[in-house]
This record gives sequence, C-alpha cells and structure tokens, in this order.
Amino acid sequence: MLLAGINFPPISDVLNWRSILFSGTPFALNKVGLITLAAAVITLLLFFIAGRQARLVPSGVQNFVESIVDFIHNSIVVDVMGPDGLPWAPYLTGLFFFIFISNIFEVIPFIQMPATARMSVPAPLALIVWVTFITVGIKAQGAGHYFKNAVIPPGVPGPLLVLLIPLEILSNFIVRPFALAVRLFGNLLAGHLLLLTFAVISEAMFVKSIGLVVLPLPFAMLTALTGYEIFVSALQAFIFTILSALYISEAMKATH
Amino acid sequence: MNTVIFAATAASSSGSSNPILPATGEIIWSVLSFALLLVVLGKWAYPPVKKMMADRADKIRGDLDAADLARAEAQRTLEEYREQLAQARREATRILDEARQTGEALRADLLAKAEGDAANVRARNEEALRVDRQRVIAELRSEVGSLALELAEKIIDAEVDRAASQALIDAFISEIGATQA
Repeated sequence: MLLAGINFPPISDVLNWRSILFSGTPFALNKVGLITLAAAVITLLLFFIAGRQARLVPSGVQNFVESIVDFIHNSIVVDVMGPDGLPWAPYLTGLFFFIFISNIFEVIPFIQMPATARMSVPAPLALIVWVTFITVGIKAQGAGHYFKNAVIPPGVPGPLLVLLIPLEILSNFIVRPFALAVRLFGNLLAGHLLLLTFAVISEAMFVKSIGLVVLPLPFAMLTALTGYEIFVSALQAFIFTILSALYISEAMKATH
Repeated sequence: MNTVIFAATAASSSGSSNPILPATGEIIWSVLSFALLLVVLGKWAYPPVKKMMADRADKIRGDLDAADLARAEAQRTLEEYREQLAQARREATRILDEARQTGEALRADLLAKAEGDAANVRARNEEALRVDRQRVIAELRSEVGSLALELAEKIIDAEVDRAASQALIDAFISEIGATQA
C-alpha cells in the first residue's frame, strides 16, 4: 500500500492562493501578487545597488546586473532590433528581470511558486507587449501603412490575398500575444507541477519508511528538475523578451 | 507565519478555482508591479548602470588610446636616444681620430725639429772643425815658412831680403799645398 501514503493535493490548492490583504475587493493581494511585487522591488534594488556601487571594476551585484544588462543590450537589442532599438533597452531589461524573478521563485525554498504559472501574470504582460508593438507600428508608419504592411504580404497575387489576409491578421495580432502568454504560462505551470509531483512522492516515501529503498529515485529526479527549472526560468524570460524585441522591431520598420 | 500567509485554499476569495483562469487581484498586482518596475527602472535605476558601463567602455577605450600614444612616445624617445648614442659614438671616434692625427703630426714635427737640430749641430761642428783646420793649416803654413826660411838662411848663409824672399816662400808653400791637397 505504498501509494496510499501519497497525498497529491488538488491542483487548485497549489495554484489558487488565499488573499492576505484587501480580501473581497478587486485588489485582493495574495502570494502571486506578492511575488510580482517582489520581482519589481528586487529588480529595482539590484539596479540601485549596482548603480550606487558604480565601480570601475564591477563585482558582486554590480557584476551580475551589468552582465545581464550587457547580454540584453547585445544579444537582444542590438542583434534583433539593431541600433534603432536602443531606446527600448530599459523596457526589455525590465521585462526580462520581471519575468525571470517571477519565474525563479519556482525554486526558492519556502516560496516555491512561479508567479508566471498563473495566467494572471503572463497574460497582462503579453497584452502590454501587444499594445506596445501596435502603438510603435502606428507611430512609426502611421495607422494605415502599418496595418496594411502587417496584413498584406508582398508579391502575392490578388486571389491568394483573400486567403492570406485573414491568416496574417490571425498570426500577427491574435496568435502572437496568445502564444507569448501561453508559452510562458505553460512552461512554468508544468515545471511547478513537476517539481510538486516529485516533492510529494519523495515526502511520501520518506514518511513511509518502507519506501526508503526507492526514495533516491524521485529525490534525484527532484534535484535534477530543480536545476532544469532554473534553466527554464531563464530561458523562458529570454524567449519572451527576445520575441517582444522582434515584434517591436518589426513594427518599427516598414518591412514590405 | 509563512504557512499562514501562503496557505493555499481551493475556495480562494478572488477568482474561480480553475487553475488556468487568472484572478482579478493577481492581474492588478502584477500589472501594478510591472508598471512600477518599468517607470522606476527607466527613470532612475537603469540610466546610472548604463552610464557606468558606457563610462567604463569610454575609459577603457581612452586608456588603450593613451597606452598607444605612450608606446609611440616611448618608441620615439628610444629612437632619439639611439640616434644620440650613435652620434656620440661617431663624435668619440672623430675625437679619437683627431687626437691620433694631432699626435702623429706632433711626433712628426718633433722628429723633424730634432733632425733639424741634429743637422745644425753637425753643421756647426763641421764648421768649427773646418775653421780649426784652416787655422791649423795657416799656422802650419807660416810656421813651415819661417822654418824653411831659417833653414835656407842657415843653409845658403846668405843675406836674403826678407820681403823679397817672402813671395818666393809663398810660392813654395802653395806648391807644397797643391801637391799635398
């Protein structure tokens, strides 16, 4: 009766959190809200410490922050957007830090909840990026030009346009933000549940001494997955940021 | 404390229990957090860090340029020193050559002078010898003359006019001198 020892909690128990403040109002603050607040505050703290240190030879926090800023500047802004994208560097840096820290709480002991595993975080972020790139497109090319360029692929004969225009609209204005949000959400939700699963199994085996023989297996899996989830946290933050950069950059230039 | 704060419950007061649907409170707080982050980061937090990095890049670039300049300067100074050294060496060689020449000339001069002096001395000696010899010859001549005269007076025992016989004696001496020379 090994399985009897495993009490897998209902999924909503590990995702829906009781509110701490302002219960009952739309401003109900719960664990997820706290984590997003922490993501913002930690990012700002890191930057203020780095900015305050401002040493010629960076070390510690300054080094950490500067490497990420440099990475985003070179690998995302310059590579994807070119020099025109430089004004967007702070926006993208903020996006990256916010998502990464929201993600990384997945493996922080005693918190162990990625805020991005709730649709409440990726969805608004995707929406913000969506609004951003559409606004940029309208500002850079004018509304008519932008929407025309965005939905009419060049060099396509008339009859095919009937087919392609709806597809382009679908892909550029509906699928993009949806995919952005769902990719982040799905990855982190899955990671969270995976870690939870192996943690529950390990715990159950530890409690039931009979399972001690096989305890190392789920526990090793839990350890390996924790490392993997750290990687996923960074990767997903990177993907979200680089795609945002790509969409904004596309909107800035009249590609066709 | 944590367990109380983070206690999960299926009957969450905000939103449904569907794990996929977002909750209103969470959306509001995440948007607020992100907005706060973007505003503060863009206005106050990001620029100093970026400025520091740009300053550092500038400084490194400046340092590299300065190092290049310094290296060029050092190279130039080295060339200068080498040139000066070569010049000094040439100068030294020249001075040495000059000294050698001067020495040589001096030696030749001294030698010439010494030879001249020696020649002078020799000439003077010869002159003195010649004068002595002539004096001796002259003395000898007059001595021989008077001796011969006495001898003749005694031999022929006649009175001879001294003045008239002098010419005879001179001719006789000259004859002797010519045969002797």
